[in-house]
Amino acid sequence: MTKRPHRSFAFRVVHPALALALVASAFATGCGSERRSEPLVGRFAPKSGAETHGERVFFTFCHQCHPGGEAGLGPAINDKPVPGAAIRLQVREGLGAMPAFEATEIPDRDLDDLIAYLSALREHGG
Amino acid sequence: MPVRSKLAFALASTLSVACYSLHGSEGGGEIDTASRRAPNPNDVALADGYSIDVVAVGLTFPTDVVFDDQQRLHVVEGGYSYGERFTTARLLRFETNETWQTVAEGRNGPWTGAVFHQGNFYVSEGGQLEGGRIVRITPKGERTVVVEGLPGRGDHHTNRPVVGPDGLLYFGQGASTNSGVVGEDSKDFGWLKRFPEQHDIPCQDITLTGKNYETKDALRGTDARVTTGAYMAFGTPTKPDQVVKGSLPCTGSIMRVNSSGGPLELVAWGLRNPFGLAFDAQGVLYATDNGADERGSRPIFGSADVLWRIEPGAWYGWPDFSEGRAVDQDRYAPPGGARPARLLAAHPGKPPKPAAYLAVHASADGVDFSTNPSFGFVGEAFIAIFGDMAPRVGKVISPVGFKVVRVDPKTGVVRDFAVNRSEKEGPASLIESGGLERPIAVRFDPSRTALYVVDFGVLAVSDEGITPRAGTGVVWRIRRTGAR
Repeated sequence: MTKRPHRSFAFRVVHPALALALVASAFATGCGSERRSEPLVGRFAPKSGAETHGERVFFTFCHQCHPGGEAGLGPAINDKPVPGAAIRLQVREGLGAMPAFEATEIPDRDLDDLIAYLSALREHGG
Repeated sequence: MPVRSKLAFALASTLSVACYSLHGSEGGGEIDTASRRAPNPNDVALADGYSIDVVAVGLTFPTDVVFDDQQRLHVVEGGYSYGERFTTARLLRFETNETWQTVAEGRNGPWTGAVFHQGNFYVSEGGQLEGGRIVRITPKGERTVVVEGLPGRGDHHTNRPVVGPDGLLYFGQGASTNSGVVGEDSKDFGWLKRFPEQHDIPCQDITLTGKNYETKDALRGTDARVTTGAYMAFGTPTKPDQVVKGSLPCTGSIMRVNSSGGPLELVAWGLRNPFGLAFDAQGVLYATDNGADERGSRPIFGSADVLWRIEPGAWYGWPDFSEGRAVDQDRYAPPGGARPARLLAAHPGKPPKPAAYLAVHASADGVDFSTNPSFGFVGEAFIAIFGDMAPRVGKVISPVGFKVVRVDPKTGVVRDFAVNRSEKEGPASLIESGGLERPIAVRFDPSRTALYVVDFGVLAVSDEGITPRAGTGVVWRIRRTGAR
């Protein structure tokens, strides 16, 4: 019989907690303004190759529902201090109306860069 | 992922869908009242180094600007708005004494735009009443039909022409329906009762899956049920493997014709509503295309507006694809609803990927490329984003659009260029400012140093209907004022 791997208490709690935190943050009032529009806060300039590439990933997969990281069809993400691990989980698993994006669609490295970009965008003018 | 975590995530997802479903729509057109419009350039924020001023106010449903060979500004008033509002369509010349001279007028709106070519104007009559036409109008107002009988009587119309490097007139023809099937939403648009035989027309032969949709008899207003298939008139079902012959003119396409008239040629098809067309400096054609809505017999959720790079002869996927992705998957299912069914048994090709993905329900419309370094952003496409028509197109959490964006077609990165100054995005009427309402067209002047923005005006949207306000259209002008 295959022994089930030991899961720490933190791990058994973290995943569900992250999931519920995502739901709560999705509809909760954000921290600060969600707008990162260039005419309002100045041009966003990627500071690394990861941010540059992550920006392209964002505009391919995320922008249509979260235009410029603001609310649209989906909620704003610019004003939500969601940790990278939670973003990764939500992208991979989806949440509610948001589809899941598997690694065949957004490879792990692209997801890393996307997270770097979202973090930088959140700080830009926020 | 561990089972417990999967259950937690499933619970979170279910709660999220429930929350989303309960959350009311907050679109930009969902205004209670619209006060008198007083445009104020100070209420519009621009990219650094640019300024904006008001050129004209008080227009009714303007859709385009065009310059003649004397560089005189002309405006096209469309003569029709969603909400079944019919007015007189007009081509107006802005005179030096700041008055408007009517060059031509008509009733077959919406006149969706115009181009000036070899001494004459070429105007697209959208065709809501008489079918679409391209007409040649001389500077003195004499009309000659270049092509008519275009299928413009449905949800979308015959769109604005542009002149290609080959001297031919290119124009987009919108689809008759949201996603291939005439339904109860077609009655809401107003055209179903006028033209009960109207339906989409493929540009080449297609084979159907035979998927049909049952609805109330919206045509006769009874409780009887009718069944309607793809590419058919309301109440006409289809069978598996049924072939629908392609023909020209067709819907959901880009076609071209000689400015002197003659046969139509197909450029591209499988589009939904290619509203804006523009050639870049290298002679490559681009088109804005409005994504599908969450309405009617075959609602599609989360369908993006896009900027396409047009490849001659290519099929772009509508009605079975959105932004190059097949729609018969869960991500396009309305929350709590079923995924859209496939309508075509065989696909004519693999759709290309967009040059850029734009926001869902944004209504990306007019487009023009910057070509003069004096203006800046050479090679980028400037796009007028009309703004959402929620809740009629589907729900949004927050207003989408109501601005001008610039797009780098090489990278797909989209950046705001002109937006309203406010905490939240939205049209001027919603945020109670003097800024942009609904940009519908952008056009560089002949020197390519000023970008004219045509602002359609106030269009309120609710579950009860669509209410446009005449006389609220504006023409803005953006110029570069300093170093970036």
